[in-house]
Amino acid sequence: MANTEVKSEIAGTVQSIEKHPGEEVAIDDVIVLLDCMKMEIPVVAPAAGRIAALHVKAGDTLTEGQLVAVIER
Amino acid sequence: MTWQPEIDDLREREKLAQQMGGAEKIERQRKGGKLTVRERIDHLLDPGSFHEIGGIAGKASYDAEGRLSGFLPANFVMGRGKIDGRPVVVGGDDFTVRGGAMDAAIGSKQVFAEQMANELRLPIIRLVDGTGGGGSVKTLESDGRSYVPYNQGWDWVVDNLAKVPVVGLGLGSVAGLGSSRLVTSHYSVMVEGISQMFIAGPPLVARTGETVTKEELGGTDICARAGAVDDIVASEAEAFARARRFLGYLPSNVYELPPRGPITDRTDRRDDWLIQAIPRDRRKVYDMRKIVRSVVDTDSFFEFSRKYGGSAITGLARLDGWPVAVLASDPYHYGGGWTADASIKITRFIDFAHTFHLPVVNFVDVPGFLIGKQSESEGTIRHGARALAALYQANVPWCSILVRRAFGVAGAAHADHTKLHYRYAWPSGDWGSLPIEGGIEAAYRAELAAAEDPAKLRVQIEERLNVFRSPFRTAEAFLVEEIIDPRETRPLLCEFANLAAPLRQPGTVATSFRP
Repeated sequence: MANTEVKSEIAGTVQSIEKHPGEEVAIDDVIVLLDCMKMEIPVVAPAAGRIAALHVKAGDTLTEGQLVAVIER
Repeated sequence: MTWQPEIDDLREREKLAQQMGGAEKIERQRKGGKLTVRERIDHLLDPGSFHEIGGIAGKASYDAEGRLSGFLPANFVMGRGKIDGRPVVVGGDDFTVRGGAMDAAIGSKQVFAEQMANELRLPIIRLVDGTGGGGSVKTLESDGRSYVPYNQGWDWVVDNLAKVPVVGLGLGSVAGLGSSRLVTSHYSVMVEGISQMFIAGPPLVARTGETVTKEELGGTDICARAGAVDDIVASEAEAFARARRFLGYLPSNVYELPPRGPITDRTDRRDDWLIQAIPRDRRKVYDMRKIVRSVVDTDSFFEFSRKYGGSAITGLARLDGWPVAVLASDPYHYGGGWTADASIKITRFIDFAHTFHLPVVNFVDVPGFLIGKQSESEGTIRHGARALAALYQANVPWCSILVRRAFGVAGAAHADHTKLHYRYAWPSGDWGSLPIEGGIEAAYRAELAAAEDPAKLRVQIEERLNVFRSPFRTAEAFLVEEIIDPRETRPLLCEFANLAAPLRQPGTVATSFRP
C-alpha cells in the first residue's frame, strides 16, 4: 500500500477537521479547513484513498509544508 | 584534381564526432535514463532542421605519419535549427565527454552559440547536463597552473535576456556554471528523476560536514519550490514540448512582436457557469485557473512557475489568437495575498511581459500583502515594493478583471493607476484600503473600548459598514468604471487583445533602480 503525505501549502490556523482517520477521500476532497487572511482555505487530498493518520487538530497553528495527514491507498 | 580526399576526411571527422564520448559512455548515459545530446537536439527541433556548427572541434590524436588516429569531440554541441518553422539556436552539453566539464570543452563554442543568438536575434535553448562547461581541478595538472576565474560569455548570456527568448532545460545533475546557465533564462525546466541542480554537488557539500544525496540537495521539487527553476516535468520529451510551446507565444526577439496564432475559438463564447464562479460567502475559495481557462482561447493557457509564490498564477495564453501574459490570484494560497515569493514572481513576470511586448491580463483577487510575523520576517514589503516598481516601469497594454477583492497596497497594484483604467469589475467586487473585518478595531478603537458590549458593537458597526460595500456605490462615483456580467469577460478580453495588438511597441526596454 502506498502512502501519500498531505502537507499544508500555507501557514494558518486549523479551523475545522473535515475528514477523520478511517474515512475515504477522493482527489481534491477537503481534509481540513485553515483560517488564513480571514478566509477558509482548504487543505485538499492530493490522492484518493483512506485517511490513515491525521496530524493536526482544530486550533493548531500550521507552518508552510507541515504534515497534515497521511492517505493510504 | 579534386578536393574529394579532404571532403572524405571531413566526413570521417564528422562521423567520429557523432560517436560522442564512445559506446561505453553513451551506454552509461542511457542507463541513467538520459538521452544523448544529439538525440535531445533531434527531439527538440523540427525534424531534419539541425545545422551543426563546430561539430569537428575537439581533441584529435595523430599517428607517426601525421594521420588522424583518434578524436574526442568537444563536449558542447550547438548550431541552428527550427521550432515550428522558426529559426532558433540550440546548444547542449555532452555529458558522455568528461561529464560536460570544462577540461574537455572548447569554451568558445558556448560563447559562439550565445553570440549567434544575440546577433542573429534568435531564441536560444540551452540543454544543460553536468557542470555546463564549469571548472575541474584536473586542469591544475593539465595546465600546470591555476587561474583567476571569469564567467566566459556572460556578457552575451546577460544581454540575451534583454534581446531574445532564452530557455534553459536541466537534463542531468547540474552544478556551478551549468546551474547558472540553466537559471539565467526566461523559462527553465527540470526533469524529475534525472535532473538535480545545485551550486556544488554532494561530494563538495560533504566537506562542509553536510551529508546529503543529490535528490536531497537539489531535487526537482526543492528547486521549483525555491523558485530557482520554473517547472518540473516527468520526461525529457515533455521538457522539449514545453520549451517549444513556450516559444510559440513569443516573438523571435524583442525587435519583433509576439505573433498571432491560429484563431481557434469564438470571441463571443460565454460560459454560463461563470455567473456562479465566485462564492457569495467571501470566506470561501474557488478555482481561479478554471476561470482563466474558460475566458482565454480554448486550451491556450500555459501556466508556469506553479510551485513558487503560489498566491500568484502566471502564464501565457491567447485571446482571439493574440498572445497575452496572464497574471491571476489563487485564493487557495493565502487567499491570494502577496507573499515575498509571490512578489518576486510577479516582478519577474511583469519584466518578462514588458521585455517581449505581451499585453497583460490580470485577474485580481488580492486581500493585500500577507500579514503577520512570517511575512515581515521574509521582507515581504521590500519584495512587494519591487513588484510595484516593475509595474510602474512596465509599458505594455494592461487589462484588469476585478474578480473579487482589491485591498491595500498590493490590491492597488492591480494596475498602474496613472494609465487609462482599462478594467472590469465582476459583481463580486470588494475593495478598499483595509477589509472591514480587520479594519474595524483600528478605526473604531475608542468607541469599542468605551462600549459595554464591544462584541455586539463590533457586529453593529460591521453591518452598518457592509451597506456601503456594494460595488455599485463605487460605480456611482465612477471610481470603478464598469461592472460586468462575468459571462461577458471573454468577449471583452478578446476586444482588448485586438485593441492592444497595434499598440505594442517593439524594441529593447530599460528599467531603473528598484527598492
